[in-house]
Amino acid sequence: MTLFSVFVDTCNKIEETSSSLEITDIVADFFEIIDDDEIDVSCYMMIGDLFPAWREKELGLGPSILYEAISKTSGCSVNSIKDAIREIGDIGNAAFEILNKQKKMQSTFSFFTEDETKADKLTIRDVYSKMTDIANVSGKDARLKKIRILESLFSKATPGEVKYIVRIALQEMRIGVGEAIIRDAISKSFDIDPADVDNAYMVVNDLGEIARVAKTGGEEAVKKEDIEIGRPIKMMLAQVTPSVENAIAEMKSTAIEWKFDGARIQIHKNGNDVSLYSRKLENITNSMPDVVEAVQNSVSAESVILDGEAVAIDSEGKAGTFQDIMKRFRRKYNIEEAVEAIPIKVNVFDIVYLNGESLINTPYRERRKLLADVVSNCLNLNVDEFLITDSADEVYKIYEEALKSGHEGIMLKNPDSYYSPGKRGKNWLKKKPLMDTLDLVVTGGEWGVGRRANKIGSFNLSCLDRENKLCEISKVGTGLSDELLDELTEKISEKIIKTEGTEIEIKPEIVFEVAFEEIQKSPNTKAGYSLRFPRLVQVRDDKLPEDIDDIDKIEMMYESQRNI
Amino acid sequence: MFKASINIDLLKDSIAALSVIVDEVRLKISSDGISVKAVDPANVAMVVFDLKSSAFENYEASDVEIGLDLIKITDILGIVERGSIVDLELDSESQKLNLFFDGLLYKLSLLDPSTIRADPRVPQLDLPAKVVLNGQDLRRAVKAAEKVSDHVTLGVENNAFYMQAKGDTDFVRLDMTANELIDLDAGDACSLFSIEYLLDIIKSAGKANEVTLSIGRDFPILIYFEIANAGGSVTFLLAPRIESD
Repeated sequence: MTLFSVFVDTCNKIEETSSSLEITDIVADFFEIIDDDEIDVSCYMMIGDLFPAWREKELGLGPSILYEAISKTSGCSVNSIKDAIREIGDIGNAAFEILNKQKKMQSTFSFFTEDETKADKLTIRDVYSKMTDIANVSGKDARLKKIRILESLFSKATPGEVKYIVRIALQEMRIGVGEAIIRDAISKSFDIDPADVDNAYMVVNDLGEIARVAKTGGEEAVKKEDIEIGRPIKMMLAQVTPSVENAIAEMKSTAIEWKFDGARIQIHKNGNDVSLYSRKLENITNSMPDVVEAVQNSVSAESVILDGEAVAIDSEGKAGTFQDIMKRFRRKYNIEEAVEAIPIKVNVFDIVYLNGESLINTPYRERRKLLADVVSNCLNLNVDEFLITDSADEVYKIYEEALKSGHEGIMLKNPDSYYSPGKRGKNWLKKKPLMDTLDLVVTGGEWGVGRRANKIGSFNLSCLDRENKLCEISKVGTGLSDELLDELTEKISEKIIKTEGTEIEIKPEIVFEVAFEEIQKSPNTKAGYSLRFPRLVQVRDDKLPEDIDDIDKIEMMYESQRNI
Repeated sequence: MFKASINIDLLKDSIAALSVIVDEVRLKISSDGISVKAVDPANVAMVVFDLKSSAFENYEASDVEIGLDLIKITDILGIVERGSIVDLELDSESQKLNLFFDGLLYKLSLLDPSTIRADPRVPQLDLPAKVVLNGQDLRRAVKAAEKVSDHVTLGVENNAFYMQAKGDTDFVRLDMTANELIDLDAGDACSLFSIEYLLDIIKSAGKANEVTLSIGRDFPILIYFEIANAGGSVTFLLAPRIESD
């Protein structure tokens, strides 16, 4: 049994180290001293991702619950805690400072029973099991129960331990340990080829599990890890292609498919059992009974894993919007109604497992043949068409057709490539047109945290409504270099009208040109629309707030993207 | 084996007292009566509950432990007419508690006691001051403190019991001399407690005619009162906020 303080010491050492190689060494040493049943949970906590997505467990802890738990433990008001966080820039460090200063703390009975000398110190397992307890809380008073569990942890912890419990609870460790470092540390600590660890990870999707297997069974056990039905594998990803001609030159011939504007879906079928996973590998089976039924009826193989893109369709079979499909993916209640209102069609384009055999080392053109044999097309499930060609003209023709039919663009795939789970390589390329940009004025923002402490981390943007008044439509936090951020923070500091906690209101004077993927209807913004994947293109010093785009233009763009 | 009859109001008050601390309890049933010891998840508040067999209309039992979902039984008892008698019978075969009332039979599934947190160790405390007061007065003191702060000091000073709470801006203090109390044993007592827990506790203790507080300096408080005409008792313990080292 290892004390949580050992974990904390390790994290503190990592926090003070900048070289990845040195960090890897520290983690590898730590892996050696802890017990077999502590390594998996230590990995989860170090990365700051407590449960693999597909396990359908969620912590459900936001900052506000933590503020309250810290407030109750320390006796400081929630507002003073928020102020401290803004000043210090990190909730973990702020909690440490507050608790370190605090004179009176909530005690527990263990302080008054005689076995106090053993002073139940927290172990690594204690902390993880309390996090699991929090994830399992449900029903009435769930919030209060979660706060009480946190308090019970805090009351046993030293301020230094609270710092990391808070970060673990928010699943933001900020010590710079990501998947890559854990992978290298496993490799180093147990003397296993990094490529083997990586391959195992791509099919198992649980680094903690792989660390445990490596610690208990060594290289041999890690190499044996394979695709399993019912456990999702990471999806292969595509890059944007610089040009069709380049792509053809590199691949010699290319397999062309339409790129549907939907959501990626991985289908597992084992006999009559079907499970479905989203791109983030969340289990979405329950919200898609129609797809489950279609798979049961139209997929002939006994056991199979398929990869495809789910799109929403209307009653005439025409494609719906990306938002429609998200409504289906996330739905937990009234599923029947949603199935009726938003029918779904899954365009299947790949097969990675068939009747007990992994196909990831089978060329794409072979996989396509197997796929065609396995699926018989129906309304909700369909093997999409593809064509192998080496003619750029033909590619452009298909591209035009795809756009005309309302799709996002096309995919260009290397017909001789393997399926590389989790990789964004040159074997899959996508081509799609760039969207327009909008000119919007900055009207608010939020102070950043972590690396962006004491800078404005994100900006609220507004357009003009029909009465020429400003109304918020989007936030933007990407596309900002550190230098630009410094410059903007300085410029904007003079224009702050009001600060509330971390939120600020800004005099509307600075105009941003913002690019985005799509305009969506949104009940959450004043404008009634929001931007998907907004990013700053440039600051338009040449434009005045009067020159920004208005709601009519946005509405027009919204309509036109629907009718392409 | 367990078979008993009990007045609904007493049963409801008993369940309510336990619900202050936990959602699920282990009931220890013996020929003498029923007892419970439970601590809240944060290990800050505790309840020690005893109901003697004499508090029941009828009572027959041998040693057995059952797990009870308090939220569920509170819900069920909501439909019982005031003043009714509830017959309880344990069906150990199917792990159900049969409740008969107003002509109705309800078979309540029990929880596996081993899944419920084990009985806590009750700290042995030697508390120097003892204050006996009306439950209403205690309720008033806590409610007043709640107006300004989320913690409150309880203590004894100059032969009087006092409550004091300091907020960011405001301050409240209540002094009750020996004359205004039912009884007072003065001693060195001054401890700080979380209001949130006390608010829950007074829901149950506030109804009692006599509540005994045992207080020390930076020590847990003991809040004791009788139920069912001395046929049973409830003791709450609450850990203080103290100087950390």
